[in-house]
Amino acid sequence: MRRMIVNRPMSPAQSEVLAAGLLTTGFNCILQMPTGSGKTWLAEHAIRDSLARGRRAIYLAPLRALASELGERWRALFAPFVVGVFTGEAPGPKAPSFAEAQLLIMTPERLDACTRSWRAQWHWIPEVDLIVADELHLLGEPRRGARLEGALLRMLRLNPFARVLGLSATLGNRLELADWLHSVEYGSDWRPVPLRWRTVTFKKAAEKPALTAGVVGECATAGGRSLVFVQSRRRSEQLAGLLREAGIRAEHHHGGLDRPARAIVEEGIRSGRIQAVVATSTLEMGVNFPVRQVVLHDLQTFDGEEFRPLPVNNVWQRAGRAGRPGLDDSGEVVLIAPAWARPPRAYEEGRFEPIRSRLAEPAELAEQLVAEVASGLCLSTAQLESAFGRSLASHQRRLPSVGRLVGEMLQAGMLVEKAAKVEGKAPRLRATPLGHIAARHLLAPSTLLLFKRAVEAQPLTFFDLLFVACSSPDCEPVLPVNFEELEEVAGLVGPEPSRLLRLPDSEVRSLLQVGGKRALASLKMALVLRRLTRIGDPAQVADDLDCYPYEVARLQESVDRLLLAFEALVRSVQKGAEPPPQSLVDLLRRVTALRRMVVAGLDESAATLTFVPGIGPKMARRLVAVGIRHIEDLALSGPEDLAKVQGLSPARATRWISAAEALVPDHSASTLREDGPGATLAKGGIPAGVDPYRLRRALELTVVCRGAGFEVSGGLEPHLVTMTPVPTCDCADFVKGNTCKHVMAVRLKSGDLELARAATIVTAMTEQIDLQRWWFGSSQAPLSQLRATP
Amino acid sequence: MTRELKTRSGTIKFPAFIPVTTFGNHFPLDPLVRPYLPLLAQAAMVSYPYAQGPVPSLRIPLFVDSGGFACLLPGGRVEEEDGLGVLVIEREGEEARRIHPREVLDLQERIADVAFTLDFPCPPGLDKNEASRRVALSQANSLWALRNRRRRDLPLFAGVQGLYVDGYRESVRALAGEHFDGFAIGGLVPRARNHQLVLEIVRDVRKEIGERPLHLFGLGQPDLISRLFLEGADSADSSSYLRFAADGRQLGNTSLRNRDPSPTERLNLALRNLASVGTFRVPLSATGLLWASPHWRSQMSRQITT
Repeated sequence: MRRMIVNRPMSPAQSEVLAAGLLTTGFNCILQMPTGSGKTWLAEHAIRDSLARGRRAIYLAPLRALASELGERWRALFAPFVVGVFTGEAPGPKAPSFAEAQLLIMTPERLDACTRSWRAQWHWIPEVDLIVADELHLLGEPRRGARLEGALLRMLRLNPFARVLGLSATLGNRLELADWLHSVEYGSDWRPVPLRWRTVTFKKAAEKPALTAGVVGECATAGGRSLVFVQSRRRSEQLAGLLREAGIRAEHHHGGLDRPARAIVEEGIRSGRIQAVVATSTLEMGVNFPVRQVVLHDLQTFDGEEFRPLPVNNVWQRAGRAGRPGLDDSGEVVLIAPAWARPPRAYEEGRFEPIRSRLAEPAELAEQLVAEVASGLCLSTAQLESAFGRSLASHQRRLPSVGRLVGEMLQAGMLVEKAAKVEGKAPRLRATPLGHIAARHLLAPSTLLLFKRAVEAQPLTFFDLLFVACSSPDCEPVLPVNFEELEEVAGLVGPEPSRLLRLPDSEVRSLLQVGGKRALASLKMALVLRRLTRIGDPAQVADDLDCYPYEVARLQESVDRLLLAFEALVRSVQKGAEPPPQSLVDLLRRVTALRRMVVAGLDESAATLTFVPGIGPKMARRLVAVGIRHIEDLALSGPEDLAKVQGLSPARATRWISAAEALVPDHSASTLREDGPGATLAKGGIPAGVDPYRLRRALELTVVCRGAGFEVSGGLEPHLVTMTPVPTCDCADFVKGNTCKHVMAVRLKSGDLELARAATIVTAMTEQIDLQRWWFGSSQAPLSQLRATP
Repeated sequence: MTRELKTRSGTIKFPAFIPVTTFGNHFPLDPLVRPYLPLLAQAAMVSYPYAQGPVPSLRIPLFVDSGGFACLLPGGRVEEEDGLGVLVIEREGEEARRIHPREVLDLQERIADVAFTLDFPCPPGLDKNEASRRVALSQANSLWALRNRRRRDLPLFAGVQGLYVDGYRESVRALAGEHFDGFAIGGLVPRARNHQLVLEIVRDVRKEIGERPLHLFGLGQPDLISRLFLEGADSADSSSYLRFAADGRQLGNTSLRNRDPSPTERLNLALRNLASVGTFRVPLSATGLLWASPHWRSQMSRQITT
């Protein structure tokens, strides 16, 4: 075991860290070292030290895939110590429990969950000696950052003997973070293989694929492998295809692919079977992925709202993959950039952005406040102020007012305040059932408030319930809708029985607290899941609705979790209304059935089979496969009909049939059937002659005068527009003969009255739901600040 | 010379502060602090009444006291039975509970690494006759336990009680000739404000017992016990580190008080208090939480009461 660690020659950075004893000073420690320079090796040393002293260690892996990969490797490396992987996925039969594992590999979210239910985990939390926080810059990521920070803060209060070892290649404020954690710190820019930076410029964006093919081809000819980063999944597929046409063995890699598909590509590049991988940000961190060349085909990224220049931190996370130790003299980073706007020097110089605490966001702090109270760790506002006084947000003087947020949570019904039993003590805070559900299911308070509004707005159809769940900030992945898809989405939504979509637009927005493209995405996600409940085949659904099967699977998992919380909420509302009104009883039945429909891809008729005790969603599918379509079919069948179901004993079959017979009078196959009016959607109302899509996009672009032309940015790429003698743009859309959005943006900037009038019409509001207007509108919450900003 | 005590769960090197804990859910802070005791103490002390349920694994030697101090509490008294002292606890609405030295020894032989005989403190102002009776019964219990113990690997400490310094001296002389593994002085808590008196008692008892370990019941003030360790005491136990923490206070720094401590602030205060009274080093990473960092100080100062 020891041999496996010490046989590798140490890098200068590793030697310095060990010689200075930074891992064993007893202080927390932050190590900032480039990708591939041996941070993980140092973490292994620190872990070994803790395990050898009979203590436990936690390793926080940013990705489930990385956690699994490390688990496999470390089981051998650290044997006989017990290594457990805890990522929220179903554990295998031989997987160690929390109590058994001495090295616990987990995601930040899992640690968050453990610290929220700390009483149940108290048998191991005090034994933790070391928490390795890999990719510490996650602290600055929306949603994940607040959960990581909240979990670390709770863990250190529950176990003040635990030390944090933070690792990252890209921290713009390492000293500030070290000051926050009272830690020692070490920074090095030593790399085992030095990087060479090169910028390849294009005059027209259409030239980019050929340029990338050229640099990747050069590398492949010289025996190297390339990793090309692009900004979208579609682009990764298209560019990989183009590289293959150029004779390069290339594949794509993105979040739409399932784990095995990604693993095949990863293995391909490691073995040399593949010469180039075109990837989105999925390969930005974590997985060991050695290549000689990294090409940044796109220097812009979509942040959920708009395209922005790629942050330096992301550039370096990607660039750091270049250069294979022992195989390459240097790694090459190629930036594909427009000739008129060269990439900023900060890229090559590695001037990283500082990590800003996400607890500065009221919505993200609110979630943590509710979790603290629900877990019984803070019982008053003063205690919450004290606990979050230790946060990075507070250290950076960006912590929102805890008192004000507690007030909002009280008003929203997530918390209640009661007089203290002891005289003179501040009033005690308690989580309401709503607050407890949010904390237990790791959901944002805004999600539970959304569900609460939905309960009040019932009756809701299955589609409505899915639309509500998919509108939650906790629902992922978000499946964006292209403007070109609007008509198709409208066509699919139209026939869906829905009460929500017959309400005025303002009421829908007020209920969902989302608008714009996010609301459209929710519609598409709801359509995906509703279709899944009808045809049961994720691959077919993905094909029909232009997404990936893996996305459908993740959406199923996410909505299952959300509906479980929804169920819990309805149950708690029922408890408060004895006897519960029939509407609540019906709602609970529908939500429970819908959850099963989503999990197993069942329609509402088949879901009635799950009313029979002992029949779960998976068994219902098996029954459907042998022709038993609903509960009435089951009641009318004989044990011999069920004999076709493998592994089902005759005694069980008879029991189910009897149960179905008893249930049919009140729970017939029509119980869940829906026959209601469909959605009422407005037509666009945009004047002819002006393409509304391009015009609306033009309104979002930035125009800067550059000599004889204009640089137009804010889209996928910056483009150059010249207006004389006739308007000309270098974009592909213009080349096809269209008046592109860039030209429109310049015309608007130049005061074109006709276009300005059209723009006014495009952005006009009506009370009827209009998908085009949603597309053009803002995704920001219209009312509450409890929704996180991206 | 550094004294030490071998037990079946490990050797204790003196001087040592022995934190008091309880099993079960009598005090919410105890289950939180208990897992950390091995990091901050060589052994832990539990009293007979608080050790009735399942015994959690502490991974350090366990001292088990007889709980004789309960005779000082309302409803508590000492009765004689066949020449031995029996503790009787009577609570309103409950049947009187009689605790015989046999019961105490039975439990100690089941769970203890170090045992203390059933003794009865004599607080200042106690009637002299009653004090003499308690001292005599304490001695009788000690001798009975010595003769009746079955586990040879269980060090047995004789309880030493008295009303005045002379009384303590006479009490220890009566026991010093027997083969006790150590001695424990009780009744010091109500006398703890008089440092000179306590020092004198400790010096006198030390003179009589040679190099055998000397334990002090119930003392947890850091400055006092460090002086007593210099005067010949080897160990002391107390729950003050917990009681102060539960009240939002630091041991040895009573000017600061957190009026509204959260459960984890209580935990951190208890660990801090224990570290300040014990001889263990605390990891540097914990210092920010366990000692008053500038931020924590500002939090505390907002809630200071004088």
